[in-house]
Amino acid sequence: MWFKLAWKNLWRNTHRTAITISAIFFAVILSVTASSLQDGVFDNFIKNMVGYYTGYIQVHLKGYWDHPVLDNALDREPAYEASISRPANITAVAPRIESYALASFEDVTKGCMIVGVSPEQENNITALKNKVVAGRYFARDDETSVILSEGLSQRLNLGVGDTLYLIGQGYHGALAAGKYAILGIVTFGSPELNDQLLFMTLTTAQEFFSAPNQITSYVIGLSSDSYLDQTVKTLKDLSGEEYEVMSWMELLPEVHQHIQMDKGSMYIILGILYLLICFGIFGTLLMMMVERRFEMGMLVAIGMKKRKLAGLFLTESILTVFIGSALGLLCSIPIVMYLKKYPIRIGGEMAEAYKQFNFEPIFPASTDPTIFLTQGLIVLAIGLALSMYPVITAFRLDPVKAMRK
Amino acid sequence: MMSIFLIVLFLQGIQEPALTAKEVVTRADDNVRGKTSQAEIIIRTVRPTWQREMTVKTWSIGNEYAMILVKSPVKDKGVAFLKRKKEVWNWVPVLERSIKLPPSMMTQSWMGTDFTNDDLVKESSVVEDYDHSFLGDTVIANRSCHIIQMIPKPEAAIVWGKIILCIDKKDFVEVHSKFYDEEGELINIMNASEVKMMDGRLIPTHLEMIPVDKKDQRTIMIYSNISYNKPLSDSFFTLQQMKNLK
Amino acid sequence: MVIIIMAWRNIWRNKVRSLIIIGSVALGLIAGLFVLSLYKGIMKDRVNVVIRQEVAHIQVHHPLFKEDYDPQYVITDKEKVREFLVEMDEVAEFATRSIGQGMVATGTGSSGIQIVGVDPEKENIVSQLNSKLIEGSGFDAAKKNQALIGKKLADKMHLKPGSKAILTFTDRESNIVSAAFRVAGIYQTDNAPLDERIVFVRRSDLNILLTVEDDFHEIAILLKDDEGVEGFGTAMQSAFPDVKIETWQELSPETKLMIDTTDQYSYIFITIIMFALSFGIINAMLMAVLERSREIGMLLALGMNRPRVFTMILTETILLTLSGTPLGILISWIIVTFYRNHGLDIATFGGEAMSSFGFSTVIYPEFPWEKMVTEMLIVVSAAFIASLIPALKAIKLQPVEALQK
Repeated sequence: MWFKLAWKNLWRNTHRTAITISAIFFAVILSVTASSLQDGVFDNFIKNMVGYYTGYIQVHLKGYWDHPVLDNALDREPAYEASISRPANITAVAPRIESYALASFEDVTKGCMIVGVSPEQENNITALKNKVVAGRYFARDDETSVILSEGLSQRLNLGVGDTLYLIGQGYHGALAAGKYAILGIVTFGSPELNDQLLFMTLTTAQEFFSAPNQITSYVIGLSSDSYLDQTVKTLKDLSGEEYEVMSWMELLPEVHQHIQMDKGSMYIILGILYLLICFGIFGTLLMMMVERRFEMGMLVAIGMKKRKLAGLFLTESILTVFIGSALGLLCSIPIVMYLKKYPIRIGGEMAEAYKQFNFEPIFPASTDPTIFLTQGLIVLAIGLALSMYPVITAFRLDPVKAMRK
Repeated sequence: MMSIFLIVLFLQGIQEPALTAKEVVTRADDNVRGKTSQAEIIIRTVRPTWQREMTVKTWSIGNEYAMILVKSPVKDKGVAFLKRKKEVWNWVPVLERSIKLPPSMMTQSWMGTDFTNDDLVKESSVVEDYDHSFLGDTVIANRSCHIIQMIPKPEAAIVWGKIILCIDKKDFVEVHSKFYDEEGELINIMNASEVKMMDGRLIPTHLEMIPVDKKDQRTIMIYSNISYNKPLSDSFFTLQQMKNLK
Repeated sequence: MVIIIMAWRNIWRNKVRSLIIIGSVALGLIAGLFVLSLYKGIMKDRVNVVIRQEVAHIQVHHPLFKEDYDPQYVITDKEKVREFLVEMDEVAEFATRSIGQGMVATGTGSSGIQIVGVDPEKENIVSQLNSKLIEGSGFDAAKKNQALIGKKLADKMHLKPGSKAILTFTDRESNIVSAAFRVAGIYQTDNAPLDERIVFVRRSDLNILLTVEDDFHEIAILLKDDEGVEGFGTAMQSAFPDVKIETWQELSPETKLMIDTTDQYSYIFITIIMFALSFGIINAMLMAVLERSREIGMLLALGMNRPRVFTMILTETILLTLSGTPLGILISWIIVTFYRNHGLDIATFGGEAMSSFGFSTVIYPEFPWEKMVTEMLIVVSAAFIASLIPALKAIKLQPVEALQK
């Protein structure tokens, strides 16, 4: 019976009800949008950082990270590789062999870092192909020509088509030496990488280093950062004692720290948003109470128990809040979808800076379902908490005062 | 009669004054070094999971000029290193190029051994750069030895805090050394054995360098041949010569 | 005029409603200004660290020096440059440094480093070197060949204050030079990779080994004012066309990127907060109009024309907004100043404490005076636009219906 009464009350004054519902409705939309943008931006930032070179996760021989020498390479095992490629979140598994060497031409000798990659897999993770500014990318897995980073090519004064000499130390102390033609040039935004890297196909590098079937790391790409911890755990379970599985947070602690700081300030901002939402909803409720003062006084005066009046208000509130939240969630879905498909673009010279690092200049939105759930629940909770106000008002009502105009 | 006997005894005493620790070390060092030397050495690098053997031929004038030619294994044959005072050059036959080693390469291990490129360049002298003192006596492999403590002089560019040497009293052969860091922690041990006569000198021909915290890892050097003070001029130690070594 | 008086009286007739709206406006302003001041605080801190602890405002090098860090490329005309810097008012202090590339070795092993020879007194002012010390007492004027080692490197090489370290590098003639140094102190910055690579020694000690006499490779200039960096740079470049002059933005492009990004972030979230504010106001005013439909109907019935009613409601809103504005500004200023003096610790909001990496998690918000006017305008316009809807609603009332409510 309460339900029917409450329902009728709501629709007696459509305008008032509409206003109250819309307060909740907009609250949900705003908090979902804000949250989605926050998540999207962070995810994107991480994606940019890890996609740059490190990848989301890396697998090495145990002890490699502390002593990154070629002798700590691991053997490729097809069964193992297949198993770590299977978990759902994983988009790519790129094998790499990296070691230090000298690049030399005429009387210029420079230290460089040789990275042997599997062309397609590598591109899936770091979009290396997009970084090519001269010449071309590897077309086959067994190409013997090399790709230089821009800084290195400038220092050696070499371009596409030229030949350079590489000398280094191979696996188990063997001498590594060879002549290689330059296939292409890539550019990185950060000088550190731009001045040092030299890419070869994996097979060519393995031959150079006398390290057949060996790699120094598996670099793993994920579809998103959300399930990082589970994925790391899964991988650790799949790998044995002889491997070490490291997430980007261990590989790039400075980036991790930066994000923690940012997240902290984001929480503060979300908090402020909730405060505003509270205020908005509360204001509405407050005014509603003021407006219905006479009505409440009348009901109590003719004999309605305060308890029941409170229950009535509670029911009305619950209905309002639920309707508002549900509608809000429903409508926020297309908004977030739209923002994901047509993300807010960064303009001007900032976009230039982003492009230099090969980052996409956008503020993307995340469509992770947990956002909707969480934000919906939060606003629901706020709404319900605030509806205690009408309940309390009902209990404290003095009918005589209320009916005085 | 008796007086002549006593005089002879007395004179013998004067002829053989006790040597200082520094002098013992100097004699041991001069013994293995000579003004110039040439040698053939087998270098074995031993690791927990693998082993590698290399044969090299060396030429040197004191501490300043050295030439090293790799003769085996096949993949490295013909690779040569030239040290001229403080510069190190590397000749790689496969590339037909000589490269001057930049400082960034100095930390890298030399040809996969436990020596670094930097070790090739080091010019510290066991005689000049340390303060020497006797610690006592010991017997190693039937040889009666001095135990000598060497502390690097403050200005010397030496990583060790202290080195303990055991040098044979009669033949001045260094049979055992302990290398300590500044905290007093033992880092490396060197054992020398198979003392043989090489070109008129008694030289330990089997040397083992063992890192203390990695028991199944070591570097072994076996001298198959050494000759001393054959005439060698500075002009031998050139880039040109590196390419034509045999 | 009459309208204004009427509007004013109307407002205070219903205190509750008016206070709610004033509160919303104030809260919107507080929220916006607080967010802006948070970001401003973060940015200022980051820029401050970059300038005062890392790269200084401007750095000067020989144009070829940074390609290979070849010690022969010292700064030419060093006396003239020195005089120039001493004379220019804008310069607070400048530090001259010599730089060598090489390695550090102990019994444990060796590691590649960059050796920076500094003049301790000047260096302490320009980069706060002595404030970064965490162990040891720093350079002692009486002793030669002392070195300051970064924590990461010290841990790796088992070095403590008093330990011996052998530094090896190439001198001006490309000869390899080694010397024994004693660790005089261990420093730590929030950039661990840099800590692992950079070793500080006295410039006088380094120059002897590099054989560069009194020359130096780098000048770091600290200006008195953060503004005017560009201007100073240009002035100096025209005075000395043969050297390479770089501003901190060029030396640390990641920082510039971060600042610009954060600026844009803050605008997006301000927008969202403004939406929240607007909805709150719309709701409140709509409720108000609903509640006053009888009163408004009465006015209309008595002959007040519609445009006047419209203006009256609009004026009410404007007055309310104008009342809320100074309140909002005052309160936000108080809040910001409080946190500015006490610091706002992000760690309590979910950022983990990363102080083991040398980071500080405290933010000092700065009141964004320069953005205040814009912010005020945004809030006032939001309130204004928000009030249009209820005002329009008001004039659409039919007096007869309204009087019947």
